[in-house]
Amino acid sequence: MPDIQHSFVIPDNQSLPSLVSSLKASFPVQEQAETVYHRVFYDTFDWRLYKNGSALEVYDDGKSQKIYWRADKDGKLKIQLGLRKIPRLAADLPAGEFRQQLQSVITVRELLPRIKLRINRHSYAVLDENKKIVVRLHFDVYWYEPSRRRAARVLTRRLTIKAVKGYAKDYQRVEAYFQAMPLLMPLPIQSTQDNVMKLALIATDVSTDEYSTSLILRLDPEISAEQVLKEIILRLLEIMRQNTAGCIRGRDTEYMHDYRVAIRKIRVALKQLRQLEPQAAISDYMSFFSSLGRLSNPVRDLDVFMLQLEAYQPHFEQEGWQQLQPLRDYLLSSRAAAQKTLVKELKSSRYRENLKNLRHYLEQDEAGDNTHGRPERTVRELADEKLWAINQSVLEQGKTINNSDAETLHDLRKTFKQLRYLIEFFRGLYPAVELRVLSQTLIDVQDDLGEFNDRHNQAGMVKAFIEQSDDEDAIKASEQIMKILRQQQDEAGRRFNTSYKAYSSSRSQKKLKEMFVEYYGRKN
Amino acid sequence: MKTIAIYNIKGGVGKTATAVNLSFLASLDGANTLLWDLDPQGAASYYFRIKAEIEGGGKKLIDGSTDMEDAVKGTDYENLDLLPADFTYREMDSFLEQTRDPVNRFNKLLKPFSEEYDYIFLDCPPSFSALSECVFAAADILLVPTIPTTLSLRTYQQIIEFFRQQGLDQTKVMPFFVMVDRRKKMHRLIVQHPPSFMSSVIKSDIPYASEVERMGVHRAPLTIFAARSRAARCYTSMWDELRAHIYAMT
Repeated sequence: MPDIQHSFVIPDNQSLPSLVSSLKASFPVQEQAETVYHRVFYDTFDWRLYKNGSALEVYDDGKSQKIYWRADKDGKLKIQLGLRKIPRLAADLPAGEFRQQLQSVITVRELLPRIKLRINRHSYAVLDENKKIVVRLHFDVYWYEPSRRRAARVLTRRLTIKAVKGYAKDYQRVEAYFQAMPLLMPLPIQSTQDNVMKLALIATDVSTDEYSTSLILRLDPEISAEQVLKEIILRLLEIMRQNTAGCIRGRDTEYMHDYRVAIRKIRVALKQLRQLEPQAAISDYMSFFSSLGRLSNPVRDLDVFMLQLEAYQPHFEQEGWQQLQPLRDYLLSSRAAAQKTLVKELKSSRYRENLKNLRHYLEQDEAGDNTHGRPERTVRELADEKLWAINQSVLEQGKTINNSDAETLHDLRKTFKQLRYLIEFFRGLYPAVELRVLSQTLIDVQDDLGEFNDRHNQAGMVKAFIEQSDDEDAIKASEQIMKILRQQQDEAGRRFNTSYKAYSSSRSQKKLKEMFVEYYGRKN
Repeated sequence: MKTIAIYNIKGGVGKTATAVNLSFLASLDGANTLLWDLDPQGAASYYFRIKAEIEGGGKKLIDGSTDMEDAVKGTDYENLDLLPADFTYREMDSFLEQTRDPVNRFNKLLKPFSEEYDYIFLDCPPSFSALSECVFAAADILLVPTIPTTLSLRTYQQIIEFFRQQGLDQTKVMPFFVMVDRRKKMHRLIVQHPPSFMSSVIKSDIPYASEVERMGVHRAPLTIFAARSRAARCYTSMWDELRAHIYAMT
C-alpha cells in the first residue's frame, strides 16, 4: 500500500482551535509536541529545476537536515540519505543516480536557496482501543517573509491527514469526517507537485521567467535608431547586473558567460551609437567596457579550459592522468588570481559609478530629442547599412585568410561576432525564417573559429605552465595535452574552411542581398 | 534499499532490542524503514504495540497467497513500518522447503519493498535453519550481537565458518558486542582486544543496562523513553557508524 495522505487548505475564517476541538470531540486523540521546521527550496538562478518539474528541498527542524529530491514532475519526492548538505554544484556530489539526474537539469549552474518557508506544526494522532496510533494529523501554518525588512506573513494553513499502514478503515473515517466540513478545501490527492512553492512565488512576487538573455524587440522600421540602441544597451546593463553577484561568487561559469556576452553586445551597440551621436562620453564608456572584457578574459578562458581538460581523460593511462595534477593546480591558481583582480574591479566604486552614469545618460536621452539638428536615422536605415557593410568587411577579411595565423582568424571572428550581434539587435526588422538560416550559418562559422581560438589560447596556457615547471612527469603529460590541442586547433581550422565557404558562397550572399534590399537598392 | 539482518544462533543476546532501536533510528533520518519480525515469539511486534499475527499465517505469506505489502502495519513512528510476526513462523523452514528454491523465493518476497523502503531490518529467530540461509543470502549486512564471553565468541566463529564453507560473502558479517559489563575483566579484555577472526567488529558496543529490559514495559524504542541513557546513546553511535558504512558501500 503506498503512502496515503490527503491535505486540506484551512481558510482564514476557520480557527485552528475550533478544528482541533471538533477533532478531539469525535476521536480518541493524542496531542503531540509542537514542532517548528524550515523548508527551503533550492534552484538555480534561472529556475531550471522548477521549470523542469524537479524539486530539491531541505527540511530543517533545528536538529537535523533532510534533503529531498524529485527528478521530474511525475516523480516522487525522495529523501537523499547519504547527503548532509546541499551541494553548490552537481559536480560536487558523489557519482551516482542523483548526481546524474541533477546534472542533466542544472548542468554547470550553482544551486541557491530560492524560497524559504517556516512551518509551525501541531500534530495529533488518533488512537485505537489499544492506544496504538492509527491515523496522523498535521495542522501546518506556513510563514514566508515578503522581503528581508518586512515581518513574516502567513502563506497558507494546511491540514494533512496521513494513513498508518494496515489501518485503512480508521483513516477513511477521519478523512470522511473532514471532507464533510464545508469550510475546508481539499487539495487534489493525486498531485505530486506541492503547490506551496507556487504560492510562495506568487506571494513574494517572484517570476521564474524573470531572467532572460533574449533581446527580442518589437521594432518599427521608422523609429529612431538611437532610441533602439539605447533601449538595447539598457536591457544589456540589466543582464550584467543580474549576473554580477554570481560572477563575484565565481563558482558557476554561466554567470560569467552571460555577463561577458552582455559586455560584448554593449560594446557593439555603443560603437553604433557613437557614429550616430558622436560624444566623448560614449568613447569613455567603450574603453570602460573594453577593459572589463580584458579583465574577465582570463577567468573565462581558464574556466573553459578546465572543463575541456576533463574530456581528455580517455587519452591517458591512469598514471599519466594523475601526472597532470600540477597543470590543474597551476590553472586553478591562475584562475584564483584572475578572479581576485576581477572581483576587485566589480566591487569598486569606479565600476558602480560608470554603470550608474551610463544608465543615467541612456535614460535621460531616451525621453527627448537628442539629434541636435542632425538628420535622424531610422532603425531600418541603420540596420540595412551596417549589416551589409559588416558583411562586406567579413568578405574582405576572408580574402586574406591563412589558417595558421591565429591573429587574423581572431580578428575575423570579432567581425563575425559584431555581425551576429547586430542581426540579433535588429532581427525584428527582417523575415524570421531567412534570418534564422543566416544566423545558423553564422553560428557554424563562429563555432569553428571559436574552437580554433580556444585551442590556440589553451595551448598558450599549457606552454606557460611548462616554461615555469620543473616536474618532468607533469611536463611530459602536459606536452601530450599540447599535442591534442594543436591537433584539435588544426581540425577546427579545416572545418572553418568549409563553413566559411558556405557563408561566402554566392547563394548565401544572394540571400543577404535580398534581405537588405532597401539599402542595397539605394546603393545600386 | 539495504537489507540489514540481526542474527545469532544464540537466543537472549539482544537481537530484537537491536532491531527495534536501529530501525527506529533509521526512520528518524527520514529513511523509509521496514522491520520484519521473523521470530515467532513476536517480541518486536509486541514492542511496537502491533498484534503478532498475519492473516492466513506464514505459509500463505511464503507461497504468495497473501500479499506481503498488505500484511505491513505502520508503527507509532513516521517512516517506520512493521511486517508482524506470526506464531506459524515456527514452521517457516517447512514453508520455505516446500518451494522449489527457498533462497530465491525469499529474495522475491523482499523485492516488492525495494522501491518503497530505504532499509529493511530482519529480526531473525535464533537458529541455524533454511530461513537463516535465506537471510544470509538476502542481507547486505548481517549484524551479529555477541556477548563478550568465550562461548559466545565460539558461536560467532561457527557462523563465520559456515559462511566460509558455503562460499558466502563474509564481509557482510558485522559482529558487535552486547550486554557489555565493564566490571567484568573478561568483557573488558575481549571488547578491547577482539580475537582476529572478528575482523569487521563494530566499534560501538551496547552495555548491559536495565533500560533495555524496560523497553518491554514502555513498548517503545529507547530513544522514546530513555533518550539520555547510555544504552540509547550507544545505539545511536552504533547507527551512526553503520550508516557511514552503508554510504561507503554505495
